[in-house]
Amino acid sequence: MTKSRKHLAFNVFRYAVLTVWLAIVAFPLFWIVATSFKPDHEWFAWRPPVYWSETPTWDNYLNVWTTFASYADTQYVQSLQKPWIALRNSLVISLLATSLAVVSGAIIAYGVSRYRILSEGRMFQLLVLRMVPPIVIVAPLSLYYAALNLLDTITGLVLIYYITSIPYAVWMSKSFIDEVPLEVEQAAEVLGANRWRIIFEIVLPVVHSGLVATFLFILILTWSEYLLALILSKSEVVTLPVELSKYQGSSEGRVYGRQAALAVGITFPLIIIGLFIRKHLARGFSFGMVKR
Amino acid sequence: MAQVAETVIPSDRPSQRASSHRRTVTRFKWGVLGPFLLVMGAVLLPVLFVQLYFSFHSYTIYLGNWWEAEFAGVDIFRDVLTDPRFGWAIVRSLLFATGSTFGCFIIGFALALLMYRPFPGQAIYYIFFILPMLTVPIVIAYTGEMLLYQNGPINGIISSVVGYDVNTQWLTNANLALTTVMLMEIWNWTPFTFIVMMAGLASLPREPLEAAQVLGANRWRIFWEVQLPLLRPVILLALVLRFLEAMAEFPKTWSLFQGGPGSATETVPVYIFLTTWQYFDISRGAAMSYVVMVMMIFIVLGAIRILRREKRTLDRMYERGEEA
Repeated sequence: MTKSRKHLAFNVFRYAVLTVWLAIVAFPLFWIVATSFKPDHEWFAWRPPVYWSETPTWDNYLNVWTTFASYADTQYVQSLQKPWIALRNSLVISLLATSLAVVSGAIIAYGVSRYRILSEGRMFQLLVLRMVPPIVIVAPLSLYYAALNLLDTITGLVLIYYITSIPYAVWMSKSFIDEVPLEVEQAAEVLGANRWRIIFEIVLPVVHSGLVATFLFILILTWSEYLLALILSKSEVVTLPVELSKYQGSSEGRVYGRQAALAVGITFPLIIIGLFIRKHLARGFSFGMVKR
Repeated sequence: MAQVAETVIPSDRPSQRASSHRRTVTRFKWGVLGPFLLVMGAVLLPVLFVQLYFSFHSYTIYLGNWWEAEFAGVDIFRDVLTDPRFGWAIVRSLLFATGSTFGCFIIGFALALLMYRPFPGQAIYYIFFILPMLTVPIVIAYTGEMLLYQNGPINGIISSVVGYDVNTQWLTNANLALTTVMLMEIWNWTPFTFIVMMAGLASLPREPLEAAQVLGANRWRIFWEVQLPLLRPVILLALVLRFLEAMAEFPKTWSLFQGGPGSATETVPVYIFLTTWQYFDISRGAAMSYVVMVMMIFIVLGAIRILRREKRTLDRMYERGEEA
């Protein structure tokens, strides 16, 4: 009797706490989606704020993502807003850098897992690449890039993203490769397959789901990166996060609806990807040290 | 997949093939590491030299060619190290990182403790709880602004709950601004500590728990004396990684406040950014970067010592778990 009452009390407590946090988590996300459908005059409504517009509109999306004449003429449109170009840049840069990092990271990880080509100490030193704040190298990097004509180019950003993604790529894919039993490889080796064939035709296919998780995880990081993208691009290779920040400095004042429409576009794919690999997120963020 | 591979080091194999094998491995090693080291050397090494050059030569963007800048010896470093604003930026960064790390940790751990055993709705809560960390930081900053301006919805909601006008100046009060960013950082990254602690709790070995229960220990004692010590590696890992990430936080702090109001949110990354790209004082920026880099490398090496020790403990735990 007392035990079941205690249990009930605990359950009530649990759902209460979790629901409060759920509200805290969901409200900002709800708000940005709601704002993206609000007409102009509802953006700043106060007491009561407009939670969900009674006259929802696609105007914000159309204004941000299309150049239809009727929308392009509205007062908020700006010549510097080029979301499609930013989208293309973001896609190209993050896909390229991530693919490079995962391919070379997985091969290094294989070497570490099977042949200890990096000692444990070196593996940890690799983490320095990720853990020292990028701000400390970004100024000289931009000058160096300027000298090499790499400033404001896709190559420039891909190179630096590749370097900063390597620690995650190596550590995360190693944690998957470590779980593959050696027998298969040994059999292939006895049959005379060379190392590269073993890697590409046996090991990597076996861990492909892990590598996909690694790939998507790093994609999330490169897609949302802001500081390096801000400084190493000027006008040509603006990425989506930088594009979004341009609304902030705009002379027309705050254009929340447009900002929200673009923000939804940037975040939505990441949420889908993230939920898809949610079982591997802990492993990713902890460099493979925490497993489930 | 679940099996743990025994890491057989090739040199353990029969010795006649050992030396030729070792040569193949060496060739393989450099074949694999070579390209990466090459890219890293080509990009990062010159950058460190450029940075060193600017730290010792007076240069701002208004002067002519940077390679003709005047040698300044250690003057710039002395300037930077005696600059109180820089000192405060470091203090602020440390405060911000410590505060947000503990905030994330306490909330994340509490949620994980409430959730790690299956219950109806667990999956739904889990999915919602990880969303903030999948949201682009810059989006969080702007959403925060939409919600927190003085006549914004957050104050509106609080007002209607308490019944009188609340006018908290989340974004313009200098005493509050850093806390505002901290709250956003906590919102953003609590999912990280949450998932790590969930994973940690899920992989706790059962026997010590059951033994304690059999001995009649109550829940508090089990938590403090059995679970917590077993969770130590995961806890330290979460704290260390979160702290380091928070030290580097830039997008939210910058896009919301640009260091203001006054210098209330001027953390190290923001101050370096301001010095370099608003005051165009390249040399000072470079010297500060060097100081911060050295400081951070020491912090990171300390952190790595902790991570290394705790990873060993974790690996042993997983191994035991797999055997059982």
